Amino acid sequence: MIQMIPLTTIWRCFQGVIPSIIATSDSHGNPNVTYASQVHLIDDGHVALSRQFFNKTSRNLDENPLACAEVHDPVTFQSYRLHLKFLRSEKSGPLFDVMAVRIQAIASVTGMSGVFRLIGADVFEVLRVEKVEGFLTSAPAEPDERMSMTGARSEIRGLQYISEQINRAGDLDSLLDIVLEALGSYFGFEHSMVLLADECTGRLVAMASRGYGTSGVGAEVEPGQGLIGTAASELRVIRLTGIEACLRYGRAVRRESGSATPEIPLPGLPDAQSALVIPLKLCERLIGVLAVEDRDATRFGEWHEAYLEIIGNQIALGIDRMADDGEETAPPRIPIAKPEPADEGRRRTLTYYVNDDCIFIDGEYLIRNVPGRILWKLMREHQRDGRREFTNRELRLDPGLGLPPIKDNLESRLILLRRRLSEKCPDVRIVPVGRGRFALEIDGAVEMVER
Amino acid sequence: MLDERILRVATDGGTSVLVGSADAGAVPACCRGIAVSTDRTLARATVYVPVATSRDVIANAATTKKLAVMITRVVEHVGVQLKGTVEAIRMAGAEEGPFVRRRLQEFAEVLDEIGLPRRVFLSVSHWPAFAVEITVEEVFDQTPGPRAGSSIR
Repeated sequence: MIQMIPLTTIWRCFQGVIPSIIATSDSHGNPNVTYASQVHLIDDGHVALSRQFFNKTSRNLDENPLACAEVHDPVTFQSYRLHLKFLRSEKSGPLFDVMAVRIQAIASVTGMSGVFRLIGADVFEVLRVEKVEGFLTSAPAEPDERMSMTGARSEIRGLQYISEQINRAGDLDSLLDIVLEALGSYFGFEHSMVLLADECTGRLVAMASRGYGTSGVGAEVEPGQGLIGTAASELRVIRLTGIEACLRYGRAVRRESGSATPEIPLPGLPDAQSALVIPLKLCERLIGVLAVEDRDATRFGEWHEAYLEIIGNQIALGIDRMADDGEETAPPRIPIAKPEPADEGRRRTLTYYVNDDCIFIDGEYLIRNVPGRILWKLMREHQRDGRREFTNRELRLDPGLGLPPIKDNLESRLILLRRRLSEKCPDVRIVPVGRGRFALEIDGAVEMVER
Repeated sequence: MLDERILRVATDGGTSVLVGSADAGAVPACCRGIAVSTDRTLARATVYVPVATSRDVIANAATTKKLAVMITRVVEHVGVQLKGTVEAIRMAGAEEGPFVRRRLQEFAEVLDEIGLPRRVFLSVSHWPAFAVEITVEEVFDQTPGPRAGSSIR
């Protein structure tokens, strides 16, 4: 017996976790059946299928607009059939952009940018939806622990909670941690990171993370590369569910194309099954990226995407406000002190590689670019003059550091430096001592080498 | 000469089977199949589809005698599509039951490895099944990429 059901009640089937099937026929009734790489739910009466190659399905649809798709609920595995009529293929516009960015992200991760891409978003009218009765021999399974679908907890309360946390943050350093903590405690997002855009290098730099074995602070991402780079360059949210299935498809295209381009690792979890990457932007200016990942293939729904985009805007505003917030209000107090007697038992070597503009500590990479130059300046003045306190203002006025004249993101660069030191060289610390002022604390002896 | 990789997809277990047909008015239908039995010539094939879920596909095949079958090794996405003429449609016999169940089990194992719990796929209806015998007239490489859809026989 055919049971008619509304399309939007089976929204989980369109999350891309279990590949859908599409059958078409040419005008002579010769059938063709294949997998559809993406079935996108538009509304109760329409879906769109991604067209990546000009293939038999495309040719059939040009001759005969009727199609039949079978989609599966990723939680229960129940099957549904959609009887479709092809309306048009969109080559641009909002629908195309939404579908294209997902494919672009997969292509980027699998090293297939430009080769594996969306040609068109094929829009279909849904003539009929039916549950395939008898598809499962037993009652649909309860959601597996590997595949839970978490719904909205309370949208307004969640927004209120995160906003409060952002407003309470005293500085950018704490704001980054507070945001990730709030996303974890309120939404249960256990693996998350914030990257900020560095206008000097054009790259994104990981500033804070939660739920990873190592923090990854300081890791850099090129715009356009991988999930994070694609979300940043396109200024679009990327929500990927069933990542492994997506990547398998992308890898197949890569293999068949004979490409030798290496893959780009996923942001943090090597076995992530779903990811939501949100560009943090003000108007069209990229501030950074918020990325959350999960091992559950269905972790992030459309609801999370829309909702976190709002939260992302709040975070972007907070970051932008605080990034400009580092000027000291009190006159700087810069005592000249004699260098502390070095603890000869703990000697570390800080090496600045001039050509590469990067600093290593005891042979291990520490930091580079502007934060590296800042560290070198502080250390040099400390060793030469015994200085221990510094101001943001004097850093801004030092042309040798290469800070951009406007929107210099000095606060975020200092946070990055502080966090990298805390991880790699806790004997050297940068400690805020007032608004726009900080102290350099050093335990033991540090040898400085310039090469 | 068919590519060994394609031949193995068509003849080995652990693969997904999709079946498509169209009615006399060229309205397409599809369903999941459970198993395909063929040899290395790919001249003929028997496609097993669950009775419970294949009503339209079987009705069309009985009418138009045309069937499309896509077989895919889902981990590598290597796929082949067989198209041919339906010679017979019959209920699968008891002696074919173990083969159909083995194929179901083999694919369930593959899916379990890539994240779909084994027990979920094993709950898919598979018996009683129709056995659709076809003469294979065309073979297409269905692996995603630049050669997707190209005729290989």
